[in-house]
Amino acid sequence: MATLPARPDSTDVEAGPPPAPKKRRRGGRAARATSGARYPRWYWPAFAAPGIIWLAVLFVIPLYVVIAIAFGTIDPLFRTPVPTWNPVWWDTTALRTLLGHIFGSDAYLAPAFIRTFAYVILASALCLLVAYPVAYFVARYAGRRKVFYLLLLVAPFWISYMMRMLAWVNLLSTDGLLNRALVDARLIGGPVNWLDGRASTVVLGLTYGYVPYMALPLFAALDRIDPNLLEASRDLGASRARTFWRVTLPMSRQAILAGLVITALPMFGDYFTNDLLSGSPGTSMVGNLINDAVSSPGQAITGAVLVVLLMVILLIPMLWYVRATARADGEAGR
Amino acid sequence: MARDLWEPSGRPMGRRAFLARSAGAALAMSGAGALLAACGKPSAPGQKAAGPPLASPQNPVTWPITADNQPIAAGLEPERNAVLKLYNWTDYIYKKVAVDDFQKKYKKYGVKVEISTFNTMDEAIAKLRTGQVDFDLFFPTYDRLGKIVQAGLLRPLNHSYIPNIDQAWPVFKNPFYDQQWRYTVPYTVYTTGVAWRNDKVRDDVAKLANPYEALWDQRYHGRVGILDDYREAISMALLKNGITNLNTGDPKQIDTAKQDLLRLAKAVKPVVNVKDYVDLPEGRTWITQAWSGDMNNAQYYMPKGQDPEVIRYWFPPDGHGSVGSDLVSILRGGKNPVLAHHFLNYMLDFDVAMENLGWNGYQPPLNKATPEAMVNDEYIPKTLETTVVLPSDFDKGYRQLELSPEVDNLWNSAWQEFKAGA
Repeated sequence: MATLPARPDSTDVEAGPPPAPKKRRRGGRAARATSGARYPRWYWPAFAAPGIIWLAVLFVIPLYVVIAIAFGTIDPLFRTPVPTWNPVWWDTTALRTLLGHIFGSDAYLAPAFIRTFAYVILASALCLLVAYPVAYFVARYAGRRKVFYLLLLVAPFWISYMMRMLAWVNLLSTDGLLNRALVDARLIGGPVNWLDGRASTVVLGLTYGYVPYMALPLFAALDRIDPNLLEASRDLGASRARTFWRVTLPMSRQAILAGLVITALPMFGDYFTNDLLSGSPGTSMVGNLINDAVSSPGQAITGAVLVVLLMVILLIPMLWYVRATARADGEAGR
Repeated sequence: MARDLWEPSGRPMGRRAFLARSAGAALAMSGAGALLAACGKPSAPGQKAAGPPLASPQNPVTWPITADNQPIAAGLEPERNAVLKLYNWTDYIYKKVAVDDFQKKYKKYGVKVEISTFNTMDEAIAKLRTGQVDFDLFFPTYDRLGKIVQAGLLRPLNHSYIPNIDQAWPVFKNPFYDQQWRYTVPYTVYTTGVAWRNDKVRDDVAKLANPYEALWDQRYHGRVGILDDYREAISMALLKNGITNLNTGDPKQIDTAKQDLLRLAKAVKPVVNVKDYVDLPEGRTWITQAWSGDMNNAQYYMPKGQDPEVIRYWFPPDGHGSVGSDLVSILRGGKNPVLAHHFLNYMLDFDVAMENLGWNGYQPPLNKATPEAMVNDEYIPKTLETTVVLPSDFDKGYRQLELSPEVDNLWNSAWQEFKAGA
């Protein structure tokens, strides 16, 4: 995060000559932090080893298996996927067929893709709308009860995602609590069938399910904002609204982005929320298509291609996010 | 899968909730198979393997018994202190019957019974093919039987251990999918029909000219259930159109069914899952495509204070509908073949099978399990007598048989289009 004392340096760096190469050679941080103690070259990188091994074994290799299946063949007898490990032999028939179903003349998969994006964007925006004021309140105004409210924020994690969704199935049923409350309050004439395959129910279900993931990073960022900065802003004559707009919001921008990424990515692959709260083809998302494919005999390749396609599509916003973060870091570092 | 968590304890999950879906697990399984596969050039696409013949009532198949895989000798003593391992669909056998009672009966031999479960046939076969498991008994479907026999996964039966086969319908001594019952004994039979609640649906669906059409009725918008099973759902749409070949490879017929299903998706926004036995009693659906056994179970899911008798089930009274059966086989990799034979015989016993029915909801095809017997002993409610499967249903009913990969792909893409909500 940008802090005020960093400012004067930044002009120095830009204006002054670059630091002498001699001084930089020993890898600044290690040398400075340990004031003279010598460590072998591999010492600090070794700390990254568990993470790298974890990532390789549980992400990179499985991902390659999925790709090898997507471009592989099907065992003619058992109809199980036979991955093609060597990219030279990759078979793109399934990919081309599927792309035809998304963009071509017979584009029956396109609505599911569009729907997925619409639902995820809507639900992520709703998550932000709900979580930001909550996080703001806990960070700024909870006072001595901060720990208690923080506990409430984390509380949903104590119950499995599935159980929470199942609870909604009950609450939303025709004779469920929600309908009874609304009817008693005379807000609606008769019970509404919320579970009849409505997009709104699915979007609200996604929002409900993922909102804690948004609240936590927002709280962490808002809690870290130095109150002195806000006071300075007020002292300099900015109104409350302007202070929020010019100080608080920019300083929580990274957290908003992080929160959006953390909530949107799992939503893209979600199928369970949809299965439970709608179950109707009219609200199918890409996650449902993938799930259907992998659980149908002989359709594993379709499932794998959909996974790869979704990943490629999501790579674009991810790259943008990485760039935005890098840029922000660059600004903060100056 | 985690879905088990929300089932009321002690009740079965319902016969065919096997599509319980776990993309993760499925991918993981594929991965395991992948690691075993060779790295060389893949076989050319379209290359056909000499697969086993596709069995059908018109083309019954006798599976060979190979020299290296002979039945066990007659008259052997059951293994002592054995752990008998069952590999079954999730919640598809009553633990009291399969574990407690069987252990008591064979106490002398110190047997312990363990039940492991699977959610899809593919998952199960993939696991068995690794050769890393030593399950004794397996509950396959007949459409995959040829493959697992050809893969050498099953052990041929020695009939002398299974005198109770005489209690079963005669057809199962020589079923089309396994002539001379060399590898299988029957476990359950079921039909697929239409179920509804007569407190919500005003028409008597059974009396309609074409009861399948009720599922398309816009009055039940948002209250229609369709089974999340590509074979069942498309078969239903075929039957609605009077097409009785539930294994058709005719693209026109499949397209007719698909167009009808697309129309249904638009008209009534159906709930597509395999929870017919929960959704109907709980009122999420009012009318649903259903498995007969699931409807027997549905009464236990009726909310307190509500009358379970509102549930009705229709299957063509002339038997011209979709019928199926499930089987039990002995696995070659099991360590206790003698006990496994005893277990098959035990499950075919009338009293044992009926107790299992009381929990499982799915009917055993036994001669003594007549409609009267099952209704009078309250295994099946009087109002659901239509769920009873008769031997004659098996003569007239239509089977979903194994499809060739090409035809299967046609069915799957029609299904994909329906599920994608285009």
